[in-house]
Amino acid sequence: MSDRAGKTLSERVGALRPNPVVNTGLSLAPFVVAFALAMVVDTVVGPLVGATWTEILLDVGIAILLAGSLNVVNGYAGQFSLGHAGFMLLGGYAAAWLTFYGSMKFFGTWEPVGGFLGSGQLLFLGGCMLGGLVAAVFGVVVGLPSLRLRGDYLAIVTLGFGEIARVLGQITARQPKNVEQVAERSWWDLADNLGGAEGFSQIPNYTRLFFVYLFVFILLILAYRLKYSSKGRALLAVRENEIAAEAMGIDTTRAKVSAFVMSAFFAGIGGALYAHRVGVLKPTELGFQKSIDLVIIVVIGGMGSITGVVLGAAILVILPELFREFSEYRMIAYALALVAVMLLRPQGIMGVKELWETSWWRKGVARLRGGKRGGA
Amino acid sequence: MDDVLETTINTLAVGGLYALIALGYTLVYGILRFINFAHSDVVAWGGWLALSIAGVFGWTAAGGAPAIAVPVVLVLTMAVCAAMGVTIERLAYRPLRKAPRLNVLITAIGVSLLLQNVGILDGVFGNKPDTIRPLLANSVLGEVGAVQLRLYDLMTIAVTIALVVGLERLVYGTRMGRAMRAVSHDERTAALMGIDVNRVITVTFAIGSALAAAGGILFALRNDLRLTADASWVLLGLKAFVAAVVGGIGNVRGAAAGALLIAFVEVFVHRYVGAVFADKPWVSQLQDIYVFGILILVLLFKPSGLLGKAAVEKV
Amino acid sequence: MTGASSGAGHPALETRALSLSFGGLKAVSEFSLAVPVGGLCGLIGPNGAGKTTVFNLLTGVYRPDEGEVLLGGVRVDGRKPSYIARCGMARTFQNIRLFGELSVLDNVMTAGGVRTRSGLFRTLLRTPLHVAEERALAERALALLDVLGIAHRRDEQAKSLPYGDQRRLEIARALATEPRVLLLDEPVAGMNTQEKRAMRALIQSLREQFGVSILLIEHDMGLVMEICEQITVIDHGVTIARGAPAQIQNDPAVIEAYLGVPDDAAAAAGPEGAA
Repeated sequence: MSDRAGKTLSERVGALRPNPVVNTGLSLAPFVVAFALAMVVDTVVGPLVGATWTEILLDVGIAILLAGSLNVVNGYAGQFSLGHAGFMLLGGYAAAWLTFYGSMKFFGTWEPVGGFLGSGQLLFLGGCMLGGLVAAVFGVVVGLPSLRLRGDYLAIVTLGFGEIARVLGQITARQPKNVEQVAERSWWDLADNLGGAEGFSQIPNYTRLFFVYLFVFILLILAYRLKYSSKGRALLAVRENEIAAEAMGIDTTRAKVSAFVMSAFFAGIGGALYAHRVGVLKPTELGFQKSIDLVIIVVIGGMGSITGVVLGAAILVILPELFREFSEYRMIAYALALVAVMLLRPQGIMGVKELWETSWWRKGVARLRGGKRGGA
Repeated sequence: MDDVLETTINTLAVGGLYALIALGYTLVYGILRFINFAHSDVVAWGGWLALSIAGVFGWTAAGGAPAIAVPVVLVLTMAVCAAMGVTIERLAYRPLRKAPRLNVLITAIGVSLLLQNVGILDGVFGNKPDTIRPLLANSVLGEVGAVQLRLYDLMTIAVTIALVVGLERLVYGTRMGRAMRAVSHDERTAALMGIDVNRVITVTFAIGSALAAAGGILFALRNDLRLTADASWVLLGLKAFVAAVVGGIGNVRGAAAGALLIAFVEVFVHRYVGAVFADKPWVSQLQDIYVFGILILVLLFKPSGLLGKAAVEKV
Repeated sequence: MTGASSGAGHPALETRALSLSFGGLKAVSEFSLAVPVGGLCGLIGPNGAGKTTVFNLLTGVYRPDEGEVLLGGVRVDGRKPSYIARCGMARTFQNIRLFGELSVLDNVMTAGGVRTRSGLFRTLLRTPLHVAEERALAERALALLDVLGIAHRRDEQAKSLPYGDQRRLEIARALATEPRVLLLDEPVAGMNTQEKRAMRALIQSLREQFGVSILLIEHDMGLVMEICEQITVIDHGVTIARGAPAQIQNDPAVIEAYLGVPDDAAAAAGPEGAA
């Protein structure tokens, strides 16, 4: 067994350990960059493009977060979920519950308080985390039984789950809206007061470019790391051939559930950001149609491609905005475009490839390098 | 007792409606293995086309429709919708016959959005709700105890039974039916055996869309005609689809059985659970939860549906 | 998982009276077999004899109605395929099942990935262990591709490989899981004489190089007779003969199973015809 190919993985690992200091730096640097970039988007890009485009950028970011999270389960693992908006709704409710009632109890007003990363924004960040966690817990509850099903059946069960989440949202109790009413009731007691069919309103408007893009960049880093690792390849293997994946020792149920949970977590955060952007969380807005919209972004962008989903989200949010004045024909054009893309480019914009893996990108890079060399 | 009878009639009427729509889903799924998301929009168009066709005959004025109005409108609308379904299949689905199923699904969603939004244009059906209820006199045929036997309910049940039995005859008793079952079982082998697969698929879409039109008209005879882009059509379609899945998708009898089960939980269970918990108003809003709850339970314990057969992948 | 030490003294793979029925049909009955450590055994039989069904029973795709499967003396029957694979049983598929869209290298790395210890959090945080494991995975995967002679195709999509290379990739992928027992389902099906010869040499070398015991299904009698130490013959799920190649070649029951009774019209369908 001393020979080269026979050496097992664990016999090889020792010699290949990276320098711990350098590795820690490489591990954390992207997050620092993400923080800095989010600051730049917030303080430089936002004012530069003006109020209208800031709104659009917020929508684009939230769409990237939601479609990017769906991509983990739909694109990587090939498990077709039609209930993603349900996780969004759960996350939104959990976050709104914490920030609205928290603001009423602690600050005595529902409106945003405090400056950058002040007490109000920290409460909001806590809300985002809570939203993610609640969605993740439901991800386990929904995923464990349903991910045994394949293909369309999984889609149908997740659809059923999303619809149930919507109906449950619609039958929650009225939302007390003055400080005294809130103060005399416990947190737990208020958990049912989510506004019912009229929606959960007066959610403090904390969502701004910084938070949206901070979470977007974090998701992109994690999605990238996942895709190019054993865990990610295991998911791709499940998508490609479930029987072979299982035969190679991949616990496919476990892999699918963990993808589902990670996906639900970020959908929950996306839902929290959405709720704190629109101010009113209406269960009917986050039903089946919203789930479909997210699936469309993933399919148009390219299933499994991170850059594809970013492009898909940007295009599908920005294009309708540009054609706002033709509102009557806008949806018709959208529908026709959807059919056309499926007929002409069924793999979506990027296919499974990332931007830097496409041939034209490589050619471009080669030309740039060649040009430099020629100039020098 | 009267109450039980009335609820039973209601269940049968609602179940019949779901069955008509569910059959379209189940036929298409059985042959092409994809969920035709545009089906609920054909239902909506069925309702609206009925209004347009009645308008041509001048039957839309209140109280001005002869007894023959409903049968004539029903048949004509079914024919128009059949042509519509065939056209959709030709233009949107056929080019994708070999593509991954998710693509076909997205295309179906595209077609669905198209139908919804074309329908609300001014020159088409417009963006104001309307009604075709004047077509059918709200007459009571008789009384059993205190229960009224309404024309609408009995007609829905009769139309459903006639169409389901007719379809059953077609699928199990004719050459075309045998070809449909062969294509459903194994498209490639069926093609090798000389079956014209494209023709089978065309006929399937024609039948499914005609049944959808009938469902749309019956639904509209009872409810207002909401806009084609209204979410209530999607929900109606979803419930019919749930019925098809619960019964075992791809199975004609399964769709009918599933539709009755869904109607049972939605009308019957809802009626009596609601009565027991009369003090809790939110219980009255649980209808949809029963429906989707049944769906999840059935799929978890018998993924192929109540009457479906499990497909085993050969290793 | 079960350590290699627990296998001392036991055959690498053993089955005791495995039976499985589909509906009323007995697909496999009372199937017993032992593959000694470092052994190379063959499983043959006419088409539809139940050979692949035996593989599916061994690897946990099907659950046996009765009987036991022991891997290094430890029972694994009734477990999930992934568990059995991690216990050290790897297989190839008769109808090739690669991860088609992934690159050749990724196919092998994916399989090797089940031997890594870092979970989701280490992966997302890129800890030193995770980084070292990913490097080791790539290194080992390349070494395996080298052994199988397809290293030059490492970046191609698995589905675009020629047929023979796909079979080689299946073997590389199975070896990446660090198995103790390797099950090969028709490794030379559809290959020409030259490719078959190369594959034969390769299979023999795998034993020493990776310390695996091998059980193979094959229709090519020449190959089986030349390289297997022991051969089991089944027909209609029933074991009809077992022994060294020379014994099997002259066994009347085997000849009958393959050629039918002398006046049978199906006599033309010999072992080669069945492949």
